[in-house]
Amino acid sequence: MIVADRVSREYGSGSGATRALDGVSLTIPAGAFVTVVGTSGSGKTTLLNILGGLDGDYRGSVRVTGRELRDLDDRQLSDYRRREVGFVFQHFNLLEHLDARQNVAISAMFGDQDLAAARRRAEQVLERVGLAGMLGRFPGELSGGQKQRVAIARALFSSPRLILADEPTGNLDSTTGAQIIELFESLNRQDGLTVVVVTHEEFLFRHTSLSLRLEDGKLAGEQAP
Amino acid sequence: MKAHKLYRLVRQNLHRNRRNLVFSSVGIVVGICSFVFFLALGLGIRQTVASEIFPVEANRIQVVPRAAQFGTLAPGRRLDDQGLEQLRAIPGVRAVYPRQELAFLATASLDGRQISPAALELLSRVPGISRRAIDAVRSVRMWLEIIGEGIDPRLVAGDASAGEFHDVPDGEPIPVLLSQRMVEIYNASFAPARGLPRISNSLLPFLPSIPLALNHSYISRGGGGQVLRTRMKIVGLSHHAIMGGITMPLATARRLNRRFAGEQAASRYRAAVVEVDSSDRLAPVQEAVRALGYDIDLGEKRMAQSVGLLITLVTLGFTLISLIIVGLSAVSISHTFFMIIFERQKEIGLLRAVGATRSDIRAIILSEAVAVGSAGGLLGIGLGLLLCRGVDWLAVEVMPDFPFKPETFFAYPAWLFAGAIGFAVLFCALGAIFPAQRAASLDPARALTSR
Repeated sequence: MIVADRVSREYGSGSGATRALDGVSLTIPAGAFVTVVGTSGSGKTTLLNILGGLDGDYRGSVRVTGRELRDLDDRQLSDYRRREVGFVFQHFNLLEHLDARQNVAISAMFGDQDLAAARRRAEQVLERVGLAGMLGRFPGELSGGQKQRVAIARALFSSPRLILADEPTGNLDSTTGAQIIELFESLNRQDGLTVVVVTHEEFLFRHTSLSLRLEDGKLAGEQAP
Repeated sequence: MKAHKLYRLVRQNLHRNRRNLVFSSVGIVVGICSFVFFLALGLGIRQTVASEIFPVEANRIQVVPRAAQFGTLAPGRRLDDQGLEQLRAIPGVRAVYPRQELAFLATASLDGRQISPAALELLSRVPGISRRAIDAVRSVRMWLEIIGEGIDPRLVAGDASAGEFHDVPDGEPIPVLLSQRMVEIYNASFAPARGLPRISNSLLPFLPSIPLALNHSYISRGGGGQVLRTRMKIVGLSHHAIMGGITMPLATARRLNRRFAGEQAASRYRAAVVEVDSSDRLAPVQEAVRALGYDIDLGEKRMAQSVGLLITLVTLGFTLISLIIVGLSAVSISHTFFMIIFERQKEIGLLRAVGATRSDIRAIILSEAVAVGSAGGLLGIGLGLLLCRGVDWLAVEVMPDFPFKPETFFAYPAWLFAGAIGFAVLFCALGAIFPAQRAASLDPARALTSR
């Protein structure tokens, strides 16, 4: 379970400061499928970065499975990101010089996992996202949808309990976007993962358990189906 | 982060950034190449000076009688048998080797016409001696005034390669040693100009004995009395032999001095080489020697030190220039890594997102720099060695012979290569420290959204 309490985040200082999040409080139960919507600059990505431990420069409190993220040091926070969170980005963020399998297993480079076991696990998750035949393909040889599937496989590699996706369909056509959303929904329903998706296309999601609306850094609405 | 995983990541990164890194490591290669070249050259020349020109023995000093000096009350002290005993009694002295100069006049005649056909025939069989050289020997006409000295055979043990070095009865050729330095000058300048054979240890057994007239001079009338006509046989080359003269066994010199110059000349010594147990006892022994009223002859040592210092200074100068080149290339390395990190911001953000710690990122960048330094260092060493070999080749093929010309101008101790690699790695790592720090401190959330 994720509990955020009066979380605020400012960029810059003094008169030029911009408040990206302004006292946001929310609770995301384990196994929930959450969409976060809002206009550009409303603080969606900032919220996701804070929940994922990528941004620790906030006020308020964020507790994930009982642990306050602010209290974790760099090593513990890195461990948290590696083991417990999977990130999916709008621009995929795949490493062009690595093939699909190596991209998926990249986090194994920073843990204790044996590289042969990491390779097998990467093949397993690539199969899970429907890319069993493309293990050795480089990002330049893949379509946008395939790249995003590789990125999802990378997020699943460490068997995290939480997937944070920042506009995962933003760079895809509508058909491919729908397939990716279907994949997220299946990961939530079949594998029991908590999924938080920042999106502009809320209408495409059919099985959300919670929808959050941000406006100017504030939580403007919270809707359960 | 495990070493084998770090290695894999670094290898991948180096491969894709190879063009930038190769370009920026040119300075490292050039700097290390010149570092190896100049240092090896300095060490090689220093080695030649120390072993061939001014061989310095750390645990030996030459003691000479103190000359009476104007303004001092103490008269000079003669070095005689009693003095030798006192020197031997100094704590820490292992041995004393006296040297006695010939106190009478002597001449040698080198007349090719006097050399027997059998001796010339024997000489012509020596490998490397041409017919032209034999003809040159036959046409030699030299009459020389000779200076000479007697030396303790124990001091030159091992130097007499072509016969025994001890006193012989009248009528037999006197065994003599020649100065290695003098022979080197003869071989490089005198002999080639006149087509004469070069003198080496392997030639000595084949050289005929040379007529010697003792108590005789071509210039002065000498001390009068009987002239002893005998012969001398060169039995070896030695660093301890006097320059510009002949060095014979001490007993021979003493016997001849007694005969031609009197008992006093036979009991006084020009100098004595004092050997101490270990070089760290040298200072107290020198002090004791001076207290006995003798001087230490530092001429040769001072010369060696001056030449050594000059070589060291020149070598240091060039080494410094090399290190400045390497240092400047570290700036280039730094610039390249800043550029690489700027280009890889998003990737660094991603690595942080999937679990890399700040120290992992720092380790990756520094390891890349170390790898670039190692490769640049190895390449620089390779080029430096090639340059050294090239100079040696040119010295053999193009440069004329000169005294003390060594087989190689360079010396390559192991620490030279370790130092070259060490400097290359050190400067690359120094160049990458700030970029690595910058990469490690990147905010992952911002890095991920960078364009």
